[in-house]
Amino acid sequence: MRQPRLSAFQCALLAPGAILLAVLLVAPIALMAVESFRPFVGGRVGAGAGWTLRNYTELIEPAYAFYFYDTFRIGFIVSAIALLLATPLAWQAARTKRRAVRVSIFGLLIGLLFMSLVARLYAIQMTWGTNGPLAFFGTLIGVPARSAGYAAIQVAIGLLHFVVPMSAIILIGTFQNISPRLEEAAASLGAPRWRVALTVTLPLAAPGLLSAFMIAFAMCISNFVVPLILGRGVVLFTTNLMYVRFSDVANFPSGAAIGVIMFALAGLVIYFMTQLVRWVSPEAQS
Amino acid sequence: MRMPSSTSTALDWTASAVFRFLLAASILFLILPVLVSVVLSFDDRQFLGPFPPKQFSLRWYRSFLDNPAYLDGLIVSLKLAVLSTVISTVAGACAAYVISSGRWRGRDTVETLFLSPKFVPTVVIGFSILGFASAIQVFDPFTRLIMGHVVITIPFTVRATLASLVGIRRSLVEAAISLGAPPWRAFLDVTLPLARTGIVAGALMAFVLSFDEVAVSLFLSDAFTQTLPIALVAEMRANLNLTVAAVSTVFAAVTILIVFFLDRAIGLDRVIGQGLYRG
Repeated sequence: MRQPRLSAFQCALLAPGAILLAVLLVAPIALMAVESFRPFVGGRVGAGAGWTLRNYTELIEPAYAFYFYDTFRIGFIVSAIALLLATPLAWQAARTKRRAVRVSIFGLLIGLLFMSLVARLYAIQMTWGTNGPLAFFGTLIGVPARSAGYAAIQVAIGLLHFVVPMSAIILIGTFQNISPRLEEAAASLGAPRWRVALTVTLPLAAPGLLSAFMIAFAMCISNFVVPLILGRGVVLFTTNLMYVRFSDVANFPSGAAIGVIMFALAGLVIYFMTQLVRWVSPEAQS
Repeated sequence: MRMPSSTSTALDWTASAVFRFLLAASILFLILPVLVSVVLSFDDRQFLGPFPPKQFSLRWYRSFLDNPAYLDGLIVSLKLAVLSTVISTVAGACAAYVISSGRWRGRDTVETLFLSPKFVPTVVIGFSILGFASAIQVFDPFTRLIMGHVVITIPFTVRATLASLVGIRRSLVEAAISLGAPPWRAFLDVTLPLARTGIVAGALMAFVLSFDEVAVSLFLSDAFTQTLPIALVAEMRANLNLTVAAVSTVFAAVTILIVFFLDRAIGLDRVIGQGLYRG
């Protein structure tokens, strides 16, 4: 099947955005990839001459690999909890018969999406931090708010506040696409509600749940500002490491190598996400 | 019809209890910090004391207005957000229109290109643009900030416009063309008005995203051109006082206004449908 070409008018409409992205996204990342193979010369801005793999090999050393491990570990746990908190919200919004309930949940979720994350993180520090009214939570789970380990808890709370509204909005779409008739049919055949949820709703919602999880995970591991504000300097994500390499030691090539790896990882996560969703629901491809 | 057994009823009851608990927990988790920070912003104490405050005043709001670093930051942030929103909305809406107009060779590649900045970590965007800007001899911080903010906002304007274009029937455009309108005329008079809600939602998202951005701005700004979030983050890390709580409260109030505006202008159901955050 031959596909038509674009008219001159369409090309003209496409051009501004395409040029902007070519110049401001593709070219800079290509340049960064080149720089990442340059040797680091201390005391000067930019990279030295010649080629090296050293910027990559040093990241395999345990001291650096640990940052990657920490980023992934916290990101994974947060995404799982986010799913747990977002599902009831989304379900209630998608299935309630009362308009006021639906609009309130929508308003809350959209409001959080639009509200400054910096302001929200500050609010979390005030609420869950050492002096905050919810600081007792740390003692409750055995990590007192004054201990060093609490930084990771705070970062997790901040990330949750960031990804729960997004996951919920994705899941609202998922649940709205599942016909309530199927559940009613199962219930009218005598299945109790927990069984309907487990055997009818869950399998139908699985692709949506999976993609919500993967998007939350991608959002977590690429986040910069949450560990910056709530990490107390104890919890650093790879994103923060990249900034430190650049701002404190002015090691541009090393920062570039971390950037290339993060770019590749983001691509991998997206690739796996599409593959996984395709595998779970082969018919949902169209 | 089979009667449910008593274990089933017990399981049903437990399941619905767990559901209600999680629902309440999640709503409280999302709202509580915002409320705490709003209350604290009116605290009269000079230091950061335990919650709740006993006396209230507007001292932190005054201290925000008295601090030139914040006001300068606010002006830079507003200028930056307006300019990059205009650029990315025009470029994004035009591109979305072409992407949605039927199947053509290379369409998937172009669509992926336009949505891809969303998946590139913002630190990578900030870092790579910094290197690129110095390679092409651009050292003005505001220009660099615009470069970075346009990239991070484009996918949102493209996606929101795409979502609103899906609902427009192609026959309307074809009718206009068959009545003698040139393609650009059909675009201006038929497609654009119909896609308005998506374009507005995308522009709003772009504005908020740019206004709140930290990672990209941290790389691309310098000591003399700072955005408001950068000033706030510096303040938060340096000393914990409640000026930031006052700013947060103002942000929360503006957000509530935005949500009301969105509900009136577009309807919240449709905003959710504009796919602002779908991957």
